[in-house]
Amino acid sequence: MKILIVDDDRINSTILHRLLSREGHQVFSAEDGQAGVEMFDSERPELVLMDIRMPRMNGYEAAREIKRLSSDRFVPIIFLTAVTDEEGLVQCIESGGDDFLTKPFNRILLQAKIEAMERIRRLHNELHSQKEELERHQERVQQELDISQHLFSNIVRAGNLLDAPCLRHISRPMSQFNGDLLVASYNPAGGLHIMLGDFTGHGLSAAVGAMPLSELFYGMTAQGYSIGDIADEMNAKLLSIMPTRMFCAACLLEVDIRQQSLMVWNGGLPDILLVDGNGRLQQSIASYHLPLGIRPFNPDDRKVSIFELRPETRIFLYSDGLTEAIRPDNQMYGTERLEHHFDGNLLPGLLFDTILADLDMFRAGAQQTDDITLLEINCARANEEAVSGTILADLDMFRAGAQQTDDITLLEINCARANEEAVSGTTAHARQKFIPPTNWSLSFFFSPQLLQTVDPLPAVINAVMNLQAPAGHRERIYTTLAELYSNALDHGLLGLDTRTKQTPEGFMRYYTMREERLAALEHGFIRLELTHIPQYDEKQQKIGGEMHIRVEDGGPGFDHHHVHSTLEGNLGHGGRGIALVRSLCTKLAYNEAGNCADVVYRWTI
Amino acid sequence: MSGTISIARTDQETTISIKGRFNFEMHSQFRAAYQEETVDKNRNRRFVIDLTGTEYIDSSALGMLLLLREEAGTNDADIEIANARPEIRKILETANFQRLFKIT
Repeated sequence: MKILIVDDDRINSTILHRLLSREGHQVFSAEDGQAGVEMFDSERPELVLMDIRMPRMNGYEAAREIKRLSSDRFVPIIFLTAVTDEEGLVQCIESGGDDFLTKPFNRILLQAKIEAMERIRRLHNELHSQKEELERHQERVQQELDISQHLFSNIVRAGNLLDAPCLRHISRPMSQFNGDLLVASYNPAGGLHIMLGDFTGHGLSAAVGAMPLSELFYGMTAQGYSIGDIADEMNAKLLSIMPTRMFCAACLLEVDIRQQSLMVWNGGLPDILLVDGNGRLQQSIASYHLPLGIRPFNPDDRKVSIFELRPETRIFLYSDGLTEAIRPDNQMYGTERLEHHFDGNLLPGLLFDTILADLDMFRAGAQQTDDITLLEINCARANEEAVSGTILADLDMFRAGAQQTDDITLLEINCARANEEAVSGTTAHARQKFIPPTNWSLSFFFSPQLLQTVDPLPAVINAVMNLQAPAGHRERIYTTLAELYSNALDHGLLGLDTRTKQTPEGFMRYYTMREERLAALEHGFIRLELTHIPQYDEKQQKIGGEMHIRVEDGGPGFDHHHVHSTLEGNLGHGGRGIALVRSLCTKLAYNEAGNCADVVYRWTI
Repeated sequence: MSGTISIARTDQETTISIKGRFNFEMHSQFRAAYQEETVDKNRNRRFVIDLTGTEYIDSSALGMLLLLREEAGTNDADIEIANARPEIRKILETANFQRLFKIT
């Protein structure tokens, strides 16, 4: 060990020097405090023996200076003192000394003290290097977390429509990563898909699971898959990647304002609350399924419940972090306290803020124990957005020939804003490779057995888009196909009457009947034929194409005359779909029997 | 702050009782409580998870129950969750765990 002796007494110093050298230490001597500090700086000893009374700088001052110079490491200082009064010894300790030895010294005692100091010094160094390693590690982890968070938020947020005017939400993650996943996006037919997922646990491990789910959500929603299909796909994904003890309680919604319907798939999330125009709780939709990622789906697991939506309806959904939030005495917020807000004493528009304020008051600063998410869907505003935003960007075309009504004026006002949405929603498709218009045709035949098992439309639209993907037309072509298809199925094959849907009870009855009749369907078919013909200008340059679509069903035909007659009143209940198709296409004609529709959809480069 | 676990075994049955908070901190304790029995899967052992004294249950605890179910033979597992107080029963039912376990 390197030992520095600071003593102005030559004899004393020499004795010590000799003694310690014999023990195998490397010894340096300084004749006063000033020289001691200088030598400490140049030789970096590991232990200092310090006299007190010395010229130039005394031992107390020198000790203070040495401690200041070695603040990052531990160098023990042992005072050599003739002083025995308590005050002198206290001063030794106060100036930074770690121990003292009274003169004349006992050799054994000196050795013992040096050894003891050496033990402390080693312990100190070990602790110090561990601390440094821990700090380095922590810094590395933090850097990785920051990068991951960047990736995470880009993946989850890309295309997220959470800023849509009809949505209000609050997400309060417990840590840097949110274990609650909240995503929203429009499907090609203009329906709003929303998903809230709550993974087991919190933080990074929970967030990692959220990434594949958000990708599936955006991808499948854009392709027109139903929320039941999306839940199925997500479940399969999570089963393949997550350990048994992790799962994701999730709720998927589809808000379709045109059909005034809400579709719900709820697996393990708290009740979804429907609140009426008076701020009163109208309906709670309880979880009906197991959470995602527990076991493979059977057909029943895809089941979606359907509810009628009124324009004044507000939908609230939340993760259990909200009702299980605790206050300092560990009491939970609870569903009762939450649902108490929906007793009709509050204006509906104030509910969201009131709930948040009440939650904060309740928690009274208590530590958060879970991620908290609350979302409100204001159907009145979803209407503006969905109608104007995705499908009817070309409002003028839709309005042509229709009587000017207050409703339509309202649409106009919101149109400017809606177009922004439409642009961001289509950027993903705009990146697709441009294929010049060519000649091709596709034909599909769907048997009752197929119609009972899957919705074939996403597959059809994907096939079309792979052959010819006119930028910005995907949603319109999808809507056209979807409306013709559902007419063929609901009215042509299943014999349902849209007028049934005009009352809330009828609305439910319509969908129950649809389900029953589809399950019992034995005969009939739907045939879909698509022919694409390129269009040329007078210089024989390709300028676009015409898509001739024929949808034929094997049913007895439906009352298309009635459908025609409702065209002008296209904001009424019945026949909205066909009116829409007429506005999007250049030609729509039914055969006399009413079971075969011919449509021409024109697009230009 | 987490709960405590006590175990009672008979020839065919293992009863695991959880007092206090059943949360992620109980993971290794809970696993240790059943692991011996699940090693030999032919024994058709019955498990009873007694929640009489359980005050709170979080999603990690639900995950532990799933893990027990898997290690006890998934669909062949005979697991009963007994005596849950109403709030906890509600949590189990929201997750629709009655389709995976016998809840009594």
